Amino acid sequence: MNNQRPPGFFIWFFQWYCRQNLQEFILGDLEEQFEQDIEDFGSTRARRRFAWNVLRFFRPGIVRPIFGSIKLNNTGMFKNMMTLAWRNALRQKQFTLINLFGLTLGIAACLMISLYVYDELNYDKFHTKADRIYRVNQPSIWGDWDEMIASTGPNVATALREEVPEFEEVTRVMQVGSLVVTPNQKQTIFKEDRIFGAEENFFKLFDFTLLHGSAETAFSQPNSIVLTEETAKRYFGDEVDFTGLMDQSIEVKEWDGNWKPFKIVGILKDISEQSHLQFDMLASMSSYQGQMDNHGWKWIWNIFGTYVLVKPNVDVAQLEERIQDLPAKWAAPTTERIFNQTVEEFTKGHPWTLELQSLGTVYSDGSPVDHGLGPTGNPLFIKIFTAIGVLVLLLSAINFMNLSTARSTGRAKEVGVRKVLGSARSILVNQFILESIMYVALATLLGIGLVFLSVDWFNSLTFKEMDLVGLLSQPTVITALAAFILIVGGLAGFYPAMVISAFKPVQALKGHSGHAIGGKWVRNGLVVFQFTVSIALIICAAFVQKQLTYVSNLDLGMDKENVLQIHNIEQFGFETGQLKSKLESLPAFTKVGKSFGLPPNILSGDRYMADEVQSEVVQMRNVRLEGDYLNLLDVEFVEGRNYDSSRPADKYKVIINESAVKVLGWSGEDEILGKKIALASGDEDKFEVIGVVKDFNINSAKSVINPLVIIHQDNDQVWDYGLGLSYFSLKLDETKVKSSGELMAAIQQVEKILAETDATVPFEYSFMDQEFDKTFLFEQRMGVVLSVFTALALVIGCLGLFGLAAFAADRRVKELGIRKVLGASIAELWVSFSSEFSMLLIIAVLIAIPFSWYCVDQWLTNFAFRTPIDWWVFGIAIIGAFLLAIATITYQSLKVAYKNPVESLRDE
Amino acid sequence: MGKSTFLGEFEELILTVVLILNDDAYGNTIVSAIKEHQNREVNLSSVHITLYRLEEKGFLQSDMGGATQARGGRRKRYFRITNAGKALLQEMKDARTSLWELTPQLKFSHE
Repeated sequence: MNNQRPPGFFIWFFQWYCRQNLQEFILGDLEEQFEQDIEDFGSTRARRRFAWNVLRFFRPGIVRPIFGSIKLNNTGMFKNMMTLAWRNALRQKQFTLINLFGLTLGIAACLMISLYVYDELNYDKFHTKADRIYRVNQPSIWGDWDEMIASTGPNVATALREEVPEFEEVTRVMQVGSLVVTPNQKQTIFKEDRIFGAEENFFKLFDFTLLHGSAETAFSQPNSIVLTEETAKRYFGDEVDFTGLMDQSIEVKEWDGNWKPFKIVGILKDISEQSHLQFDMLASMSSYQGQMDNHGWKWIWNIFGTYVLVKPNVDVAQLEERIQDLPAKWAAPTTERIFNQTVEEFTKGHPWTLELQSLGTVYSDGSPVDHGLGPTGNPLFIKIFTAIGVLVLLLSAINFMNLSTARSTGRAKEVGVRKVLGSARSILVNQFILESIMYVALATLLGIGLVFLSVDWFNSLTFKEMDLVGLLSQPTVITALAAFILIVGGLAGFYPAMVISAFKPVQALKGHSGHAIGGKWVRNGLVVFQFTVSIALIICAAFVQKQLTYVSNLDLGMDKENVLQIHNIEQFGFETGQLKSKLESLPAFTKVGKSFGLPPNILSGDRYMADEVQSEVVQMRNVRLEGDYLNLLDVEFVEGRNYDSSRPADKYKVIINESAVKVLGWSGEDEILGKKIALASGDEDKFEVIGVVKDFNINSAKSVINPLVIIHQDNDQVWDYGLGLSYFSLKLDETKVKSSGELMAAIQQVEKILAETDATVPFEYSFMDQEFDKTFLFEQRMGVVLSVFTALALVIGCLGLFGLAAFAADRRVKELGIRKVLGASIAELWVSFSSEFSMLLIIAVLIAIPFSWYCVDQWLTNFAFRTPIDWWVFGIAIIGAFLLAIATITYQSLKVAYKNPVESLRDE
Repeated sequence: MGKSTFLGEFEELILTVVLILNDDAYGNTIVSAIKEHQNREVNLSSVHITLYRLEEKGFLQSDMGGATQARGGRRKRYFRITNAGKALLQEMKDARTSLWELTPQLKFSHE
């Protein structure tokens, strides 16, 4: 760019707006000023000043007249157009209101959705190097190799650092898991789930703002910790002085029950909602060096998010290709040591890919979902939302077009007179487009108001914190809104403008206008489209609700009702027999059982094989529990028995579910009891199967039931014996706990017993049925959103129909008058009037059915358990839409039918 | 003479500066003269608008200069004060002087 010249755009802009006769010397003066400014301030500021000066010249006296200098008296005409628009709006109040109301609804819905989508697509953009940061994903090596996960083992980073010089930085973020923290010598205890371990170079990639502390040295020492502002306030009170906190210590409880001090070395500004990394504190990763050194699991210990910063101008696709060889080269020591397998054997031939996912799309891609360090977006939701937003806007724009065109009968005379007085068609077109733009502008303002009123509701529904004022004051958003008004107004006004301005003056003034208007097909087509969309939306919304009811009432194979689950039991140590007997003594509960996982979130798993020659390695879920827990769940035994506390040998036995029987390759006829399964890691230990339970749902009803191995909690031959989170589940006695008051009392009793044992353990509880409901949170929210927008679409559709019926009533008033004179009854007139619209509705139904069937079918493939696509749902949805439409038309048809024929036929 | 004879402060300033600059009065020179003599930053656009207004009122005349290499080869529009303009300035000065003569002797109080 030539910096010694003024910015070309502004020269062009000036020449565009400036009066011809003033241009030359003003521009000359501007340029002279610019040359002077270059000497005084340098080119950058000079260019800025030039732009500013050009803008300053945009003032009356300089700006050329809008319609050029030849046309005289155009302000008068402009004023006249406005007056006419205003008078027309007032004369047909009903139309005006319907028009505005429909448009406002449509625009508000569209705005709301745009805000949502904008918000969703702008995650992680606040990191200045976001375009060069990538996350490393790999296959789910513990499960389905075809699925990707968002984390890797710790040594992926080591290999990348070693082998790929194109990475400026490679950093790991460790998921530490839930921990118990005390900021004040155990006076208050906090349970923290969102702690990450961070490496020294963390801040070289990510731009989280440190309010205190140094980004360079924050994670250089072991046992250092950085708190977010919110966490610091939670620990030390709202009034806390952050500077005073530096170098103070907080204590974190280790797995072995010891408390370990961490020095506060920094305070972070609260993490933006729009970050895929969500945490409350960051500990220096070197604090966990012991854990890292002890584990030989360098390539399979997948709790590390690996992020890379690529050097500028590097071809990332090529780079990605190059790193594919690394796992095969580096992972062998791990697989050999742990599984006694080569990498080849371990992967069973699946490629161990390393995928570089750009930080900007980590959230919005919505995948991989597993092992992420924060929320993931849902592209399906965005797609559905966008589609609905566009549809609703389209519906309301169509409405507007339809109503404006239909209304034009009343304006035929106006157009005729204008034409006779010499108005060119282009001026008429301008007039109607201008009118339409004014309507859209007004509706947009009203729509923004509506969005203001409903943004809180929308935020709570979508778990967002969209700041409307902030967004609306951004210049890009304002420009987009202005463009939106012009485009929608222009497009919606174009068709009516063309139709109306085409009136022939002679016919128009004679009063033939009503018949002169063509475009009946267009209008009818648009109505059909509107109702197709509305009916399809009703059907989809109905099926979403139906599916949600279906899955929440699905037989899970166990009893999830009235189960109180107490968390953090692992904090009491492994021996909890005493605690259990105390809990059992509480009268409010019938059964108590301990487990090391809770449905629907049993996600742990391992690789197993049947203890037979040539058996295949299979991935199965596992959960450790005691026999009482299975009793509590009330699962059904197909074969064998539950654990028996009087048989100590039971602790090395396992119980499997029916799906496990199938994947292990055992058929139903075999005697399964007594067979053994072994860990695929080549461990010596084999576990005898003593029972087979009927499949019960350990995960959400979205997925099929996974094969499951139930391991006795006392089994000390499994590697994670004594480790992991554990829970007590308590079955509420319905006869004793009937009110929420009684429930609270029962919970308090439990809390008291736990506090007596160890007051430093935080008390947390949940209910199993609620946890199952939560797995459908997303679908439930979608259901609500879909219902709301369906209602909107329907209202807009009905408004359109209402307007059109009014138009038809106006057009057919004479015909119906004659029919009445000839003896037709009101009912007959009503039928005659409605039949025209019924045809349109039937066509709409015929299109809507296959379309919505397809959508519902597609959506249902997300679920393992699907509600049948019943025809009666279609029937009800269609009848509903029909009734509503007929009701809308009836008002107009009765109005015409009751009209005295004398009045309607009086003048011709 | 009606309202057109009334000059605002800025208009008077511009008119005076045009008088001072004699044959070299156009947008930029006026801006820099005001900067130089009055130490006051004025925007080019305000100067132009005022010049046109004064021309309309008949206190200024303008004509186009010749093209030069500088300023993108664009011509300048030079302004000259008309007799009516000069008379008005004189009149304003006289009016002010006669008003000043009516004031008591000017004393600044020192505090």
